[in-house]
Amino acid sequence: MMYLKDNRIVSIISNFLKMASLLFLATVTGYIFKMIEFPETTIVLAYLLGVLITARFSKGYLYGVLASVLSIFVYNFFFTEPYYTLAVNDPSYFVTFTVMMITSLLTSTLTSHAKKSATVAQEKESETKALYMLTNHLTDASNMQDIAVTATNIISAVINCNAACLCFDENEIPEKTFVQQISSEKQISRETKNTEEIKHKTEVSQKGYYIDAEFYNWLIYGRDSILGIIRIPSDSAVTMTESKTRLLCAMIESTALAMDRLLSAQQRIKYQEETVQERYRGNLLRAISHDLRTPLSGIMGTSEMIIDMSNQSDPRYDLAKQIHEDADWLHSLVENILSLTRLQDGKLTLNKQFEAVEEVVGGAVSHITQRSPEYEITIKIPNELLLVPMDAKLIEQVLINLLDNAIKHTLPGNEISVTVVHDQDTNCAVFSVADRGEGILAEDLPNIFKMFYTTRAKHADAQHGIGLGLPICDAIVKAHGGTISAQNRKDGLGAEFIFTLPMEVKSK
Amino acid sequence: MSNLDECILVVEDDAQIRNFICYSLQSDGFKCITAKNAQGALNALVSEQIDIMLLDLGLPDFDGIDVIKKVREWSEIPIIVVSARDQDKEKANALDIGADDYLTKPFSATELLARIRVALRHLYKQGGNRQQTNAKIGGLKIDYEKHLVYLDDKEIHMTPMEYILLSLLFKNAGKVLTTSYIIREIWGVGYGNDTQALRALMAGLRRKIEKEPAKPRYIMTEIGVGYRLMNE
Repeated sequence: MMYLKDNRIVSIISNFLKMASLLFLATVTGYIFKMIEFPETTIVLAYLLGVLITARFSKGYLYGVLASVLSIFVYNFFFTEPYYTLAVNDPSYFVTFTVMMITSLLTSTLTSHAKKSATVAQEKESETKALYMLTNHLTDASNMQDIAVTATNIISAVINCNAACLCFDENEIPEKTFVQQISSEKQISRETKNTEEIKHKTEVSQKGYYIDAEFYNWLIYGRDSILGIIRIPSDSAVTMTESKTRLLCAMIESTALAMDRLLSAQQRIKYQEETVQERYRGNLLRAISHDLRTPLSGIMGTSEMIIDMSNQSDPRYDLAKQIHEDADWLHSLVENILSLTRLQDGKLTLNKQFEAVEEVVGGAVSHITQRSPEYEITIKIPNELLLVPMDAKLIEQVLINLLDNAIKHTLPGNEISVTVVHDQDTNCAVFSVADRGEGILAEDLPNIFKMFYTTRAKHADAQHGIGLGLPICDAIVKAHGGTISAQNRKDGLGAEFIFTLPMEVKSK
Repeated sequence: MSNLDECILVVEDDAQIRNFICYSLQSDGFKCITAKNAQGALNALVSEQIDIMLLDLGLPDFDGIDVIKKVREWSEIPIIVVSARDQDKEKANALDIGADDYLTKPFSATELLARIRVALRHLYKQGGNRQQTNAKIGGLKIDYEKHLVYLDDKEIHMTPMEYILLSLLFKNAGKVLTTSYIIREIWGVGYGNDTQALRALMAGLRRKIEKEPAKPRYIMTEIGVGYRLMNE
């Protein structure tokens, strides 16, 4: 603060001296004019010139006005009778004084005003230049560090201080180091102290900046998070004029824009890479599955032939049967993986047509009863024909997966049912597959549609799944614009899976 | 009827499956010729006396669909298509351009032989060109002359459309008929490919002849492909 006061006093004194010497010069010139007997008006003009020059070369309106008033008195003192007094003999001099006063006041204020406008324009121009330079340099930046370095460099030059920039990472945690300008050419990297404190302060800061021991810290606000802080040393920060502060804010804004642009570009590249990887993985999985499928068909066919050829008492009968069952299980797994890769590809185009519910349900049930003839599956569907827009093949797959599940958890002879009703309120077809198994564990319920989730509840010799069946159902139903849910039955043991399909084709 | 006269061409690139098919056919008394690819199949068709062709859709050299097209240019030989499960579109397409039936991998020997028998039956019917006056499957009987249908010896009232649909299925008993084929036969070529009317017609027919329409005994739905009237 002392520095500031000194500065002002120096400026007052220098302005005062300027004014005094100009008045002195005007008086000297007046004397010369008087000696060579120029008319008195020339002396008045000399004073006016002095006032004008004072206004031009001093700061603000004050000195011009002061010079106008003083010049009247000095003129009165030296050049009107009686000389060397402030008294006036001839009253007509009062007119001269008044005109002189008005003229000098007007010229001095006009000059000061013109000067002020010029200064403002100059400031504006340098601001624009600085901003332009900043944005121009920031466009070339290829990473966050680049932006920090450029911003620090230019802000330091414009504000005339050793500014610093600290970037935050994607979780809004301050980086471990930050860059600071130490001379016009050189920057250093400093360790961030009190990372926690900085984070806390940025969170509670409401004015867009906060103050700590060494710096004034302005926050760089991105589109949806804080991207970093610009740090201005405290001693420079307090002397900053309002226009400088405004300029600093504008520069911080440009920095924020540049950072945002960079981040979104990086995000886009990341997504692209992920998509490519995902597709690659999908292709790989599909290729493997395809190649698995053909030999599996062979194994199933051949083992079936051995079953047909051997006597039931022959141990080979059981062995071949085992082979057939395992191959069958593996085959349905491969089919599921194939469906999943197709669903995840996003390339799944629904072949939606109005299909009769009875046909789709009938198809799924007959598929299951062929595989597990020991189960009796009850079907309850409305008597009137229910046509629902769907991809029949995919919905059949959903029903098959759900029925497969039901069979895995239910003993032969117990009830398994498929029910379809038309819900008039929501205009949906509601499908339900219910069994009389042991039900679903409470801890499994929220996760049951997650990929690769398998239950921890294991009953003896249960064939373990790999948790693909239900996620596939989930994906297919959602692709149709429907919902799927699982619950335990309220009327006793057993689980119930319910999914809905909208009856109307939504126009997009 | 001895099967020894019938010769079946098996076109399949996977050796395992080829062997399994051939073994099944031979143990049932059929003669069996194999081809590894489309070119081999076409060669065999020209040089040998073949009654039925079993064609895998995924061949290494040619698309199965192209093979069917080529064969259909000069031969009416029954073609049974073998496909993987995710080839529904190709399956329906193959049927529409002239294949007679299809099998989905993995299939059992029983399924395979059933399809072959259906194909043979149609082959003989065609060859004999004899007009049937009536046909019976299970408790379902159709009288072509009087345009009447009986279920367990009781006459059933049918609308003209339902009768046309049922007689179409009866004439192709055991064979799968694609929805587009049925629509073309009933409503004509200009009707387009709107399946909704057919679904409704089928639902009406089923409610008259099936005890439980969702568990059909006579008319099976082949989802994504068409319908098949069971004949055994």
